[in-house]
Amino acid sequence: MDMSFVTNLLLASVRMATPLIFVSLAELYSQRAGLTNIGLEGLATIGSLVGFMVSLLTKSPLLGVLAGMMAGILVNMIFAYATITLCAEQIVYGMAINIFAPALAAFIYRIYFGSGSELVQVKLMSTLANAMGITPGNFFTKLLLDQTFMVYLAYALVVFTAVYFNRTKSGLNYKAVGEYPKAAATLGIDVIKTKYLASVICGALAGIGGAYITTCYTTTYVDGNIAGRGFIALAAVIFGRWSAGGVLLACLFFGFFDALQIRLQVASFGLPYQFFQMIPYVATVVVLALIGMKKAGPKSCGKPYRKEER
Amino acid sequence: MEEILRMEHITKKFGEFYANKDINLDVQKGEVHTLLGENGAGKSTLMNILFGLYQPTDGQIYLHGKRVAIDSPATAVKLGIGMVHQHFMLVEAMTVFENIILGDRNTRGIFIDKDARRKEILELSARYGLDVELDKPITDIAVGAQQRVEILKALYRGAELLVLDEPTAALTDMEVEGLFRIMKKLTGEGKSIIFISHKMREVLHISDRITILRAGETVKTLNRGETTGEELANLMIGRELAPSHYEKVSESREPVIALSQVDYHKQSKHNGLNGVTLRVGRGEILGIAGVDGNGQSQLAQLVTGVIAPEGGTVDLKGSKVATFSPNGFISENVSHIPEDRNKMGLVGNMSVMENIVLKETDDPQFSDAKGWHLKKRAIRAYAEKMQQKYDIRCQSVLQEARNLSGGNQQKVILARELENEPDLLVAVHPTRGLDIGATRFVHDTMIAARDKGCGVLLISADFDEILEMSDRIVVMFEGAVMGEYSGINPPIDQISLAMAGK
Repeated sequence: MDMSFVTNLLLASVRMATPLIFVSLAELYSQRAGLTNIGLEGLATIGSLVGFMVSLLTKSPLLGVLAGMMAGILVNMIFAYATITLCAEQIVYGMAINIFAPALAAFIYRIYFGSGSELVQVKLMSTLANAMGITPGNFFTKLLLDQTFMVYLAYALVVFTAVYFNRTKSGLNYKAVGEYPKAAATLGIDVIKTKYLASVICGALAGIGGAYITTCYTTTYVDGNIAGRGFIALAAVIFGRWSAGGVLLACLFFGFFDALQIRLQVASFGLPYQFFQMIPYVATVVVLALIGMKKAGPKSCGKPYRKEER
Repeated sequence: MEEILRMEHITKKFGEFYANKDINLDVQKGEVHTLLGENGAGKSTLMNILFGLYQPTDGQIYLHGKRVAIDSPATAVKLGIGMVHQHFMLVEAMTVFENIILGDRNTRGIFIDKDARRKEILELSARYGLDVELDKPITDIAVGAQQRVEILKALYRGAELLVLDEPTAALTDMEVEGLFRIMKKLTGEGKSIIFISHKMREVLHISDRITILRAGETVKTLNRGETTGEELANLMIGRELAPSHYEKVSESREPVIALSQVDYHKQSKHNGLNGVTLRVGRGEILGIAGVDGNGQSQLAQLVTGVIAPEGGTVDLKGSKVATFSPNGFISENVSHIPEDRNKMGLVGNMSVMENIVLKETDDPQFSDAKGWHLKKRAIRAYAEKMQQKYDIRCQSVLQEARNLSGGNQQKVILARELENEPDLLVAVHPTRGLDIGATRFVHDTMIAARDKGCGVLLISADFDEILEMSDRIVVMFEGAVMGEYSGINPPIDQISLAMAGK
């Protein structure tokens, strides 16, 4: 095993972690407002398809990402309306999104591209180094410069989120909605508005996370391309103890195992590749089992907020 | 005297039901004005209207002589009205400091200016004697301290008029005294307080004026000096309530349960038992007096089989208990009115009917084949009989238990625990948070059970209740028994000292 294996692995970890960061932050914003949204997988899928199509049509991956974001928001409004306004069960509607959105994505794909076996390819977003016309040489320039705009955005969002929840008044109010909405309401905080805002942010980030897959990672869309990242993100929020920094670490952890499994697959030690594919998921299960649920998340998670209830 | 608040002809209808009907109330600057009334008399509705949580169907509100419309809690706060809810509105995962500044609109900027805010809060807390530890999470501070945080929260938002909704319900006597000192300080500084309570002694002690509500209407407003506890009680319930007096029994009887040198988490001052020896005889009430958190919870759990002692022996009906399990104690006919009716006494999401038979689903009366098939019709008929007998006021026995008032929830528990004539009844704070009528019902029921030969272990933080009900009194302090006294002409001074550990 040479050095380039290790550096490549680390570089790949960062790339693999990026979509997870978006999707995990989506869940973090949702849960901080008391909405447990397990529909991330679905939101990311629709984001990835719409992102793919728009970047194909406009030749602009960035527009693709924006479109994926919009698609995520739109689909998540179903969840928001059902759980916030109608006080429906969050898990049920999250599951509904997971069933509905990928099916919708597959449907649109078939309608548009037909059912032929030929895969349409799209140009990926260029990296900063590419845009500047530099060819990065060593590990550090690769790490810092040979990344797409989305990677920088993801890390910027982590910093922003950490500051927002820990240092700002608005962030404190936001957290109160997830902990004890009734108390927040008596202090003049608009609980319903905050929850809708949370759903918009959640849909947007999950959509971006999905669009990342088809605009920065693989050149085409295939059904199932989110491959459980929505659920790993759910685990990352728990693993990361509902804090932005923790979520980042968790995503890097899972990103590392994802990158590792691909490399092990390529290296192939004569084992069926499915064994390696399991690695990130096994790591998720192991970590959740070890960490346990000692500190639960925001108190009101999963419970509907009814204004008139005494 | 300057008038702060006047509520005129306030009416609130829910459907066809009048929660408030033509209520008038005025509050002067610097006074403690008590709202007195049974549960369901309309106190909370009235205060929710004042705080903008409900809109009145009719009537006007004037603040400082000017008519105001209060459409939301935010408006109420802006107008200088602060409310301390009975169930605290505190975010447990946050610190005291964060809770106080939550939802703050008075300061500019995006970020929290911690130093400036802390200074403001500390000034307020020093001025009114509201000492709190700003950096502790809410979960780590006592109930009394949480209440101080709530008051600080209101003052921080510039409250001139404070509504304290049953603030003493969850406090120990010491904490109540502390609260009263704070209230005096607040009114001394020109703040006004609306105090909601149904504890006569407190009301007579702290109020300047008292307004009595009954069935949604104002009965009368009285000055404190002009009235007595009896008059207030009668006005409140709308009929003459003869002062309760229960005959005490004195002769010693065969014990139902006897504890000998029982230890449990001995080192813990507040949650342990240290060499406890006591016995409860058939047909007597043994009262356990003491400030909450001196091992009473553990004692209750031990004599109902929830926890097992780490040392010493427990004899139940003459034979030594070998294994401790709730089921074992239930089959020995031990009944339990637990300290927290919502968490331990009832399954809130289940119906009244289901809660009533919860312990006896194996009984052939209610099921075939030991619980494999429930006889719904028989259960319902039985529950309806109990509803009559125990005067449980609910829409139907199919109503969810959590939607009942505290008094009616307690009656559901009484029906379940007392109908099978237990040998031992363990009652923990059986009347906490209940109004006079419901309290009387619970007491009468317990006395009736005693007279049928049931041994009763009454654990209560309400000293008056202990004195009124107990045939014998045992005082607990830091997990140990401090002394035993007769319930007939009990030496109150000695008992008070013992409760303080002297």
